[in-house]
Amino acid sequence: MDAAIRRRGAYVCRSCTRSLQRQLRRTYSSAAQPDIYDVVCVGGGPAGLSLLTALRASPATAHLRVALVEAQDLAKIRSWKLPPDRFSNRCSSLTPSSALFLDQIGAWKHLERDRVQAYQEMQVWDGVTGARIEFDWAGSAPAAGTTIAYMNENLNLTSGLLKRLEELGGVSVFDKAKVESIAYGEETEELDLREWPVVHLSGGKQLSARLLVGADGANSPVRSFAGIEARGWDYNRHGVVATLQIEGEGWGADHSKIAYQRFLPTGPVAMLPLPGNYSTLVWSTTPSNASLLKSLSAKDFIAMVNAAFRLTPTDLEYMHTQESGQAEEYSWRLEHTPFDYRAVPQTAMGVQEGTVASFPLKLRHADTYIAERVALIGDAAHTIHPLAGQGLNQGQGDVQSLAKTIEYAVSHGQDIGVTMSLEPYLSERYAANHLLLGVCDKLHKLYSVGSGPLVPLRSVGLSAVNALGPLKAFFMNQAAGNGIKVF
Amino acid sequence: MRPSLRHVPRALRTARPASRAAAAAAAPWLQHPQPQPPSRHLSTTSPTLHTPSSSSVNATEISHFSALASSWWDPHGPSRPLHLMNPLRHDFIQACLASSPTTSPPYSNLRYLDVGCGGGIFAESAARLPTTASVTAIDPSPTILAVARAHAKRDPSLGGKKLTYLSETIESLPLPAEPADRFDVVSVFEVVEHVDYPAAFLDRVGEFVKPGGWLVLSTIARTWTSWVTTNLVAEDILGVVPKGTHDWYKYINEGELRGYFGGKGGVWGPPRVMGVVFVPGLGWREVRGSEKVGNYFLGVQRVV
Ligand SMILES: Cc1cc2nc3c(=O)[nH]c(=O)nc-3n(C[C@H](O)[C@H](O)[C@H](O)COP(=O)(O)OP(=O)(O)OC[C@H]3O[C@@H](n4cnc5c(N)ncnc54)[C@H](O)[C@@H]3O)c2cc1C
Repeated sequence: MDAAIRRRGAYVCRSCTRSLQRQLRRTYSSAAQPDIYDVVCVGGGPAGLSLLTALRASPATAHLRVALVEAQDLAKIRSWKLPPDRFSNRCSSLTPSSALFLDQIGAWKHLERDRVQAYQEMQVWDGVTGARIEFDWAGSAPAAGTTIAYMNENLNLTSGLLKRLEELGGVSVFDKAKVESIAYGEETEELDLREWPVVHLSGGKQLSARLLVGADGANSPVRSFAGIEARGWDYNRHGVVATLQIEGEGWGADHSKIAYQRFLPTGPVAMLPLPGNYSTLVWSTTPSNASLLKSLSAKDFIAMVNAAFRLTPTDLEYMHTQESGQAEEYSWRLEHTPFDYRAVPQTAMGVQEGTVASFPLKLRHADTYIAERVALIGDAAHTIHPLAGQGLNQGQGDVQSLAKTIEYAVSHGQDIGVTMSLEPYLSERYAANHLLLGVCDKLHKLYSVGSGPLVPLRSVGLSAVNALGPLKAFFMNQAAGNGIKVF
Repeated sequence: MRPSLRHVPRALRTARPASRAAAAAAAPWLQHPQPQPPSRHLSTTSPTLHTPSSSSVNATEISHFSALASSWWDPHGPSRPLHLMNPLRHDFIQACLASSPTTSPPYSNLRYLDVGCGGGIFAESAARLPTTASVTAIDPSPTILAVARAHAKRDPSLGGKKLTYLSETIESLPLPAEPADRFDVVSVFEVVEHVDYPAAFLDRVGEFVKPGGWLVLSTIARTWTSWVTTNLVAEDILGVVPKGTHDWYKYINEGELRGYFGGKGGVWGPPRVMGVVFVPGLGWREVRGSEKVGNYFLGVQRVV
C-alpha cells in the first residue's frame, strides 16, 4: 500500500488514501486492506494492455492510479522472441485504423516490424460454386497497393505494448495472479465504498476500483461479477491454426501480398500472409475434422491444407475419413481437378512443429458493456467468428472509445466509474459491434450449406456482389477499419 | 393526482426539447401574443437586504428542492438533465478562464464557491479537477446537504479539505476580509430564477469574487418560448404544474443581466454568453443565439 501511496499526483489523492488506511487500520487492524485505484484492469491481453497504454500515454489521464491484474507471467511475454524463420500460430489482422491507434499511443514502434506483414489483396471464394469476390482496391477505392490490413502475431503486439508500458511507467502490475473473487467494499466513518468493486487476488492482495475494467477474455470473471449476461451460441466448429511454410513469397511477391479465404460447407479456411514465404492458417471446421487434422503427420496435414484450397468439398470430405495417407490421396486427386493455380495460394510445403492447434468458435455478445464501476472491453464484451478477422480490431475500437470516454470524464470532473460517465462508451460501441457480429454470423451460416436451394442463390448472389459489391464494400471497409460507415 | 412540477427539478422545468421549442416559435398564433412579456427591472434594493436575518432564499423553493433529495444522484431520475448539463458548465468556465490573459491556462489551485449547490453535482466535479485547490459549496437546505455529504463520502478523492459543504445562504456566509482570499470562480447555476430579489442577490454574490476572478451563472430567459413551454404547455395544457406558478416572471433575460453587470461602474468586464438547448436523445448542446430564447450561461470577470 505504501508504495502505491507514494506515487505522485493521483486522482485518488494521497492524503485520502492515507486517511482511509488509518481508518481501516483502526477498524480492522489485522486484515489485509485494499489499495485504492482509479482503474483496475483485469486481463493483460491485447485489449487490456492497449487500454492501460492509452491511459498512461494521454496527458489528461496520466495522473490516474492504474493497476493491471494478469494470470500469466508478463515478463515472459515482454521478452518474447522467436528466430526470424519461426512464427507463433496465434496471429491476427490489424486494420490500418488499429495500427494508427497503436501508433498514436506510442506502441507501434515497439512491435518487431519485420515480423509484421501488410497485405494489399484479398481473394474470397465459394468452395461449392466457385463464385469469387475479389478484394483488390479497384475503381473508386484507394490506389492499388493500399494496405488492407497487417498480419501480426498476437505476442508481437502484447510484447510491444508491454515495452511501451514499461517506457511510460506508473502501472501497478500484479501478474502471475489470478482473480480469486470480486466483492464490494465497506462503509467506514469517512468513506462509503459499498459500490466500489474490490478485486481479491490469489495471495491475499486486494484492490479497490473506482472503475473495474474487464479485459479478461471470453470467460470474463469481471462480467460475471457485474451480473452481465453474454448471449450467443456455439458454432460447433473449431478454428484450426498453424504456421505454414509456402513454396514462395506469394503470387504478388513481397510488394503485393494476398490473403485467401475459401468458404467450405464445414466453414471458411483462410491463409494469411506472414513475412517471406510463411503464412498463417485459420481453418474453421467441425470438431471431429479438427481433431483429425491435429492428429495427422506434417506431410498429411499440409496435403489437407493444400486440398482445402483446391479440391472439391466432396474430395475433402472423403479425405477427412482417412486416418492417414492424405498426401498420396491428394496428389492423385489433384491430377483430376481442374483449377486456376494463380487463383489459389501457392502450395504449402511444410508446417512448423508444434503450431497446429485448435479453439472452439462461438458468438457471444454481452447484454451491456457497462455497469456501475464496471466496463467490459474486447473479448469480454464480444466474441466473434474469426472469418472476418475482426476480433482483435473490435477490441481496439473499444479501447479507443473507452479511453476517450475516460479522458472526457476526467477533464470534466466526472467520477469515471459511474454509468453516467461511461454511457458514451456504450452508445458508441454497442451498435457497431452488434452489426459486425451479426454480419459475420450470417456469412458463416450462409456458407455452411453444402447443397439445396441456398447454393445456387448464393452463387448468383456472390457474382452479383462481386460486380456491385455491398458485401465487398462491407468487407473492404471493415478490413480497413472504417466500421459502420458502410451502412 | 398529477405530480406537481414543483416536485420536478428546476432543470427539468426549464429544459425543453428543442423540437418543442422550435414548434412553439413557429406557431402562428404566437405572432401577436398576449400578454406582453413584462420587462424586468433588476432593482438593486430589496426591503430586507443587509439585515441580519436577510436571505435571498424563498422558503417554498427550499422545500421543493429538499423533496428531491433522494433522487438527486439517480442518473435515470428526475435530475438527469442536470447531470447531463454539468460537463457544459465546465466547458463554459474553461472558456471564460481561457478568454482572459490573467486567468488563461496553465492555471492551478483554483478556489471555487458554488452557491446553491444542491446535491453537489457541480461541486463534486469541480473538486475532482486537477486544477482545483478547493470547493466551498453552500445551500440553505440541510436535507439536500445531507445527501451531498453522503454522496461525497463515496469518493475518496473528495476527502480532506478539497470539498466543503456549508449550510449557509450567500447572505449568512462570512465574506473573507482580504480580497485575495475570495474566490477564483463563483458559480450560481440554475439559481437566480428562484430568487425574489436577483439584483440584491447578485450584488452579494459578486463580493465573493476576487479581483480577476469569474462569476459564472446559468439560468433561463423569460421569452415567449419559455413562457409557452414552461407555463402554458406545462401548466394549462399538460397540467403538470399547478396553475398560477409564476416562476416564469422570475426568469431573467440575458440582456437584463448584461444591463445589470454593465451598470456596476466598471467592476465587471464584458459578459460572455453561451446558449444551450436540450436535444432529446443527445443531451445538451451549445446553440448560438439560443441564449435569447432558453437556457444560457453567462460569465463575467471581476476587474477590480
Ligand atoms: C482461432 C482464432 C483466430 C482468430 N483470428 C483473429 C484474426 O485474424 N484477427 C483478429 O482481429 N482477431 C482474431 N481472433 C480473436 C482475437 O485473438 C481475440 O479477439 C483477442 O485475443 C482478444 O483480446 P482480449 O485482450 O480481449 O482477450 P484475451 O486475449 O483473451 O486476453 C484476456 C487476458 O485475461 C487474462 N485473464 C482471464 N481471466 C483472468 C483471471 N481470472 N485473472 C487474471 N487474468 C485473467 C488472460 O490470461 C488473458 O491474458 C481470433 C481468435 C481465434 C480463437
